Amino acid sequence: MSNATLEVKPSEQQTPTPEPGAPDNWRRFFSFSTDHKVIGIQYIVTAFIFFLFGGLLAMLMRGELITPEADLVDRTVYNGLFTMHGTIMLFMWTFPMLNGLANYLVPLMIGARDMAFPRLNAAAFWLVPVFGVILTASFFVPGGPSQSGWWAYPPVSLQNPTGNLINGQALWLLAVALSGVSSIMGAVNIVTTIIRMRAPGMGWFKMPAFCWTVFSAQMIQLIGLPALTAGAVMLLLDLTVGTSFFDPAKGGDPVLYQHFFWFYSHPAVYVIILPIFGVFSEVFPVYSRKPLFGYRVVTISSVLITILSLIVWVHHMFASGTPGWMRMLFMFTTMAISIPTGIKVFAWVATVWGGKLRLTSAMLFALGGLTTFLFAGITGIMLSSAPFDIHVNNTYFVVGHFHYVINGAVVMGFYAAIYHWFPKMTGRMYYEGLGKLHFALTFIGINLIFLPMHPLGLMGMPRRVASYDPEFAFWNVIASLGGFLLGVSTLPFILNMLSSWTQGDKAGDNPWRAIGLEWLVSSPPPHENFEEIPIVVSPPYGYGSDEPLVSNNPGGILEEEPEKTPIANLAGKANS
Amino acid sequence: MNTNDGTSQTPEPRTRNLGRVLNRRRILGLASLAAGNFAISVWMGQEAYKWLPPQASSEAVLVDKLFSFMTAVGTFIFIGVVGTLLYSMIFQRAAKYDNSDGPPIEGNVKLEVIWTAVPIMLIIWIGTVSYKTYDQMSILGSIAPKVMATVDTVPGEPREPVPGDISPSDNPAPIEVHSRQWSWEFRYIDQNVSSTELHLPVNQRARFKLTSDDVLHGFYVPAFRVKQDIIPGKEIDFAFTPIREGRYRLRDSEYSGTYFAANQTNVVVESQEEYQRWLSEIAQNPPQAAQNLAYEEYSQAEQGTISLGWATVKPAPAPVVNHTSSEEDSYE
Amino acid sequence: MSTTSVDPNLNTKAASLEGHGEDHEEDHRLFGFIVFLLSESVIFFSFFTGYIVFKTSAGDWLPAGFEGLEVREPLINTAVLVSSSFVIYFAERFLHKDNLWGFRIFWLLTMAMGSFFLYGQAVEWMGLPFGFTSGVFGGMFYLLTGFHGLHVFTGVLLQGIMLGRSFIPNNYEEGEFGVEATSWFWHFVDVIWILLFILIYVWQ
Ligand code: HEA
Ligand code: HEA
Ligand code: CUA
Ligand SMILES: [Cu+2]
Repeated sequence: MSNATLEVKPSEQQTPTPEPGAPDNWRRFFSFSTDHKVIGIQYIVTAFIFFLFGGLLAMLMRGELITPEADLVDRTVYNGLFTMHGTIMLFMWTFPMLNGLANYLVPLMIGARDMAFPRLNAAAFWLVPVFGVILTASFFVPGGPSQSGWWAYPPVSLQNPTGNLINGQALWLLAVALSGVSSIMGAVNIVTTIIRMRAPGMGWFKMPAFCWTVFSAQMIQLIGLPALTAGAVMLLLDLTVGTSFFDPAKGGDPVLYQHFFWFYSHPAVYVIILPIFGVFSEVFPVYSRKPLFGYRVVTISSVLITILSLIVWVHHMFASGTPGWMRMLFMFTTMAISIPTGIKVFAWVATVWGGKLRLTSAMLFALGGLTTFLFAGITGIMLSSAPFDIHVNNTYFVVGHFHYVINGAVVMGFYAAIYHWFPKMTGRMYYEGLGKLHFALTFIGINLIFLPMHPLGLMGMPRRVASYDPEFAFWNVIASLGGFLLGVSTLPFILNMLSSWTQGDKAGDNPWRAIGLEWLVSSPPPHENFEEIPIVVSPPYGYGSDEPLVSNNPGGILEEEPEKTPIANLAGKANS
Repeated sequence: MNTNDGTSQTPEPRTRNLGRVLNRRRILGLASLAAGNFAISVWMGQEAYKWLPPQASSEAVLVDKLFSFMTAVGTFIFIGVVGTLLYSMIFQRAAKYDNSDGPPIEGNVKLEVIWTAVPIMLIIWIGTVSYKTYDQMSILGSIAPKVMATVDTVPGEPREPVPGDISPSDNPAPIEVHSRQWSWEFRYIDQNVSSTELHLPVNQRARFKLTSDDVLHGFYVPAFRVKQDIIPGKEIDFAFTPIREGRYRLRDSEYSGTYFAANQTNVVVESQEEYQRWLSEIAQNPPQAAQNLAYEEYSQAEQGTISLGWATVKPAPAPVVNHTSSEEDSYE
Repeated sequence: MSTTSVDPNLNTKAASLEGHGEDHEEDHRLFGFIVFLLSESVIFFSFFTGYIVFKTSAGDWLPAGFEGLEVREPLINTAVLVSSSFVIYFAERFLHKDNLWGFRIFWLLTMAMGSFFLYGQAVEWMGLPFGFTSGVFGGMFYLLTGFHGLHVFTGVLLQGIMLGRSFIPNNYEEGEFGVEATSWFWHFVDVIWILLFILIYVWQ
């Protein structure tokens, strides 16, 4: 290691295998690679393709909804469209996309060479195209895909009008079950990696906030997903072999299914948002040049959110067959979520406040995402108030609430993450101008489509309707136009990514002057990430202070041997 | 490591003294900003009433008040946070070649305690108001178990009577609501009549027995702000009090399959006399099959005149009733 | 790790070999497996919850004409399965002491006990007057015992593989992950059965 590097340029020296994305080896992205960085990008790209597919279905839905009558597509088709849109967006886009980010970033951030189980990791990824194909195939079976909404509530989901054993609903259940298997494999891997493979010196409170959020999110997967699996197995048995768990005609209990479903699917929304919180916590300090405000409290609130998220699910059932005491109990637990979440929101504002802001694309998307999240959080608190929710439950108010968070905060947070880590992943810079255009179109589009959904819901327009009463037409036209704009907004992004990846300027190892282990290695990082496993001596986000983050030279980038400062020595000793 | 190259800032204390930051001029400035925000929030709270349909039930009055209150609180939080962010974005940008770092402030215990405590208090407040509202509505009948009856009043505060609370003496049989894929049928047991349009006397607590013949449905009248899922195999007691005469829309609110969107009908709230007259009038009508979009289209599709797209379950036959509403009837 | 080497291929190999040595010093597999088992247990707890909800709320719980489950044979079955947890523990002890034949004998005994349990389960199923589709009780009963039985079956299968592998020379040089994991799995299956037994046989 201590050999003088001759004429070899450091960045080349770091990559014994060719750069990912370099023209000569793009094939590795289509192989059963066990490199967490390749898998990460495989996840993200696959997920994004499904995002476009799910978005395309949404465009058809908005086309139908631009007029009150059911005219563009038949009612059955519309019902299939929103079912598949919701399912694809959640199971094929958000979960794989977030697993991709976690896969790429966590080992780099904690100073590990790979995930704990590289082959399991690859297997978990390759399940994604498998169930993606199953789900897509369900469009072509007789009778069409599932038409029972992404909740698949029985008895509607059990009706099976064609009578075939292979029907859209059965394929849907199969795909969701495989998605669960894949997620559990991923969760076991990530949790083990974070607990067992942190670099020496990286105590829990020296770990970046992103890893904390990923950890919290994956814990939810481990605890919650099996409940959904149980419910799905019982539903599948009802559908195929004729058991009667959820079929009221045969003595079953459809409301029990709802409990199974939401016991997982509510926490699932925090599986989705927590890593995005992590992205915010990484992005704001870099572009404000300030440490993350209240780092410890922010990390602990992730864990609090995890715990609370497991005891609030009935807020999706306030108008269902639930007794009053249950409604009141879960109203209070739900509201309690705003406390740890508020801590985070205020901490981000305080991080930005008084900083030296640089409004890059990543920063703009993070700020935009935070704003839409705040809006959605506030409507969320309104929904959690049972008497009010009874009015707007199953109306467009709810659709507006969750698209603000899931399309506003999550999709924009995803874009923030991509712009921020793009130079690291590809070794190239993106075009800032296109990035800003992308932001402007996305932000306007999101507000234009999803804000009108709130007045619609308040007026009483139910969700999942192919046709509606004429008084709702005005806001729906605006929403549809906003939706088309939102669809168009993805084009500058795709253009930017494709051309930057192939032709962008070389980025250098740390273009943002960011602090973090991933920025100590070359861009893109070498196969084994670190030449030497880093020895961490400081907490993250040391902006404005002169403390070094590590006491060695893990990337091997520096020409000279780094001098060991007294602090570094001290910490090194304490750790041994 | 040269993680922050070229940043030789004058070292600032890690956590700044709150007292020093908040001198009197700042406090005054902050207070006036807060007052401005407060004024806007109160105004938004008033605006909120306009976004809702007419208040046609006593429950609507309660729910709207709650919504207005939450809108005001929410506006205050939203403007406060987004305003601060916007200020930073506009006034705290780094100059183009300024590569220095901001002050290395890592936290402030006092601030953190404040912004944990304030939301706690806020949600206790919102929660209490919501609880009282729900308690006063008492829309669920017997499936609200006995537990609720015992905690039915907020400690120290007697339950206010709801307009139209019925005295136990005049206790008409509840109206039977039959929901199907995809039609509504209302049966008035005492009079032995049925209708696809719901008629209710104004200012009297209306009671229902909600049932479904096939899948989940939802009983929802936006103008009344009440909603309840209907579960096959169960009878659900439900109650609310209409307080305003007029015609309103009743919608299915729990997704029920192909014709879910079309599973709507009207509610007519009328004076006690008109209501009684209507009941006795329709008792003369011979029962006849109602207009029903789902059934008609399905029959057409069976004859091959139209296509319904992907597979659908067969709709229930149109209900046979004494009074049928027509799709063209207007409503508010 | 020298980076001045001219041959890029050689370089790659050196780098990844060194990486492996450092990364996998500690073995994470058992840890990961236990995390998985904890997660898996939630499926069972979900089914248990379902069972409890159905039993406490359903109208006609037992299928018509059916009085209740016979407890005697299942109790014997239970005793066998629970004791096998001790047997497998001894097998593991022998392996730690490098007594391969002791390990094989006790391991085989565990397998035999597991198979006996499965056999007993099958016999019970044959004798029952109700089926999978006989109402909620029938469904729940076969779901729970079947899903558990599937786990027992998997356990016996894994044990078979481990037994076979014990004949590979030097198989345990790099640790005994497979055996330890199988044993953990077996204890897990056992604990679940005890809960299951209490739930459907004792609480009638
Ligand atoms: C990532 C996704 C995500 C996130 C993070 C959230 C966050 C929240 N959601 Fe949302 N929600 C969904 C996705 C999400 N939701 C989806 C997909 C659905 C519908 C599913 C379907 O039906 O198909 C849904 C539906 C849904 C419902 C059911 C509505 C209905 O069907 O009738 C409810 C009800 O309580 C609810 C509440 C909340 C609350 C209280 C939060 C809270 O976590 C928000 C907390 C945040 C804040 C409050 C803002 C920051 C806090 C402060 C600044 C502190 C001060 C503030 C106060 C004291 C108020 N959500
Ligand atoms: C991550 C989750 C996610 C995301 C990102 C989105 C994104 C969008 N959603 Fe989503 N939506 C859900 C999750 C999500 N949705 C869920 C869970 C439901 C509930 C389903 C249910 O009720 O069961 C729902 C329901 C739902 C409805 C209500 C349907 C109903 O109740 O009747 C509507 C209506 O407008 C809608 C619209 C949109 C739009 C316009 C987008 C836009 O963001 C889409 C933007 C568009 C694109 C990204 C497409 C770009 C593509 C092109 C420009 C063409 C390129 C073509 C090729 C490459 C071939 N969604
Ligand atoms: Cu382990 Cu490479
Ligand atoms: Cu939820």
